[in-house]
Amino acid sequence: MLETLQVNIPSWSDLGYWRPELTLLSTFLVALIGDLIVRGRRPWVPFTLALAGMLLALGFAVADLGEPAHTVMGSLIIVDGIASFFRILFLVAGLATVLFSWTSEEIMGVKREAKGEYYALLTLLTGGMCVMAEARDILMLFLSMELVGLTSYVLAGYMRTSLRSTEAAVKYVIFAAVSSGIMLYGLSLFYGLTGETTFVGIREALFANPPHPYALLVVVVLVLVGMGYKIAAVPFHHWAPDVYEGAPTPVTAIFSVGPKAAGFALMIRFFYTTLVAGPEAAGTSNLLRLVDWPLLIALLSAVTMTYGNLVALRQTNVKRMLAYSSIAHVGYILMGFLLLTSDGLQAILFYLLVYMLMNLGAFLFVVAINNHLRSEELTDYAGLGFRAPWLATMMFVFLISLTGLPPTAGFIGKFFLFKAVLAQEWYWLAILAGLNSVISLFYYMRVTKAMFFTEPAESDGAAAPLAIKPLEYVVLAALCIPTIGLGIWWGPVRDFADQAIARFNVGI
Amino acid sequence: MYTQLLPVLLVLSVAVVFAAVFLGLSYWLGPRRPDPLKETTYECGIPPRGTVQIRFFVRFFLVALMFLLFDLEAVLLYPWVLLYGDFLSAGQAAFALGEISVFLAVVVVGLVYVWKKGGLEWQ
Repeated sequence: MLETLQVNIPSWSDLGYWRPELTLLSTFLVALIGDLIVRGRRPWVPFTLALAGMLLALGFAVADLGEPAHTVMGSLIIVDGIASFFRILFLVAGLATVLFSWTSEEIMGVKREAKGEYYALLTLLTGGMCVMAEARDILMLFLSMELVGLTSYVLAGYMRTSLRSTEAAVKYVIFAAVSSGIMLYGLSLFYGLTGETTFVGIREALFANPPHPYALLVVVVLVLVGMGYKIAAVPFHHWAPDVYEGAPTPVTAIFSVGPKAAGFALMIRFFYTTLVAGPEAAGTSNLLRLVDWPLLIALLSAVTMTYGNLVALRQTNVKRMLAYSSIAHVGYILMGFLLLTSDGLQAILFYLLVYMLMNLGAFLFVVAINNHLRSEELTDYAGLGFRAPWLATMMFVFLISLTGLPPTAGFIGKFFLFKAVLAQEWYWLAILAGLNSVISLFYYMRVTKAMFFTEPAESDGAAAPLAIKPLEYVVLAALCIPTIGLGIWWGPVRDFADQAIARFNVGI
Repeated sequence: MYTQLLPVLLVLSVAVVFAAVFLGLSYWLGPRRPDPLKETTYECGIPPRGTVQIRFFVRFFLVALMFLLFDLEAVLLYPWVLLYGDFLSAGQAAFALGEISVFLAVVVVGLVYVWKKGGLEWQ
């Protein structure tokens, strides 16, 4: 006689709290069918569907902001403060990418196939990322990671006839397979140690009988490998530069913020729930001491930011340079995880939001320039400050924000991160992060120098102004204005992050 | 500390020692008279030809992928059947039925997609 699992019986009413995800998933199917009906000849059909679906989902996500925490699908998924915060982040990033893809030659060029499927897949990717932020069970954790992963591989290899793009997709798949395997091993050991699959159950079992320190250390490190791969932390970053360089640039733009932020969302929910009972109870947990968690994270963070910045110094391809810079930013964000406190969490959330704006902006600028120059080399950026002055000025804003200079949002984000680290008295890490910011100034300003202080080459038409499309101006301005605005008036966003933390549910 | 694991260690060491002793003995005592026929790869009486690294037609990959997909769909129906009783007694039978219909509908959309894109044709 088979014994069935005890399940928390789900019902229709649960699904009411899951409207944004349901909207995104049905938009994916409708856009796919819509593309089949028009036989792929009218890409505006799936584009409009994807855009409408994302706007509707964003509307639902904003409307559900004040709702108390609810579980969906039995106990697999939870919609709480953190989930609502990340939903909005992902949907904004998704919307900006969908809009910008419409202008991109790499996606919409005459020779490209399956333009409709591209928009359908972007919608699915956004939906998958939302689920990643909501998983509260190791089964759902893995399923959502694979949903995001599988969609990403296809998007990375979207330019089927380009060798670089195909290489990116293959590398992505292979690295993902290995690190998923390692993480699954860690998760199975977690199950073996505790006999539970929900994060809350794991914590209760771990608190009731603390395991051997080495056992817990091995398990935590194995899980960190999988998540470190997703966020591209050194030493699990090897896939990132090649994939970022090979994938179509709009796809790279969403990769560098979406799945990365989703990986952080997963880390937040997993570690804040299993190792400590929420950010407020961080000081009382002895599991952190058992695995030497602060040292583990401090080392990961220090190595990641230093490596990312040092390698970025030598890059001549702007896309690749931004890929390494995004690795360095992962190092900064990891500083917030040091002691799993609410200060750290606030800094992480604020920085992720700011990072989404500025990094997406920088990558979309690369898309806009690539549409006209068909190049991402730094030498071809010479004189862009005169050929496309508004665009170059906005890129300058994104670059100083990525460096972390006032009066931009990047400065405030870094300020919160440094404050969280200094409050825990990890001085060496703060000093190292400060030095890293100085290093990063060099390569970000190298782009500025090329754009504003270098004369363009004396060949035909190389100095002519670029014909920038209105949509490109609109999307970049929509990212640039808050990048400056948040540097001057950051209160509302900090309160938004605080509300998310206040409604972060680690119980149920 | 871990005395209860001692029998496992004992079994493991006995296995290692046993294997090493007998492999060593047969290596040391056994006669060795190789000839060309003995050194060929054994393949049920047929002499092996060519290398093992041959190129597959890429269509096989697509067929395997679709087989896996629709096979897994059938596998996923079993746990649903097992849990249906619980749903029935909780008065949520309509929800369970609706959920699995959504799942099947998604798979059907996939089938339609594959069909229309010509994935089922062997060109």
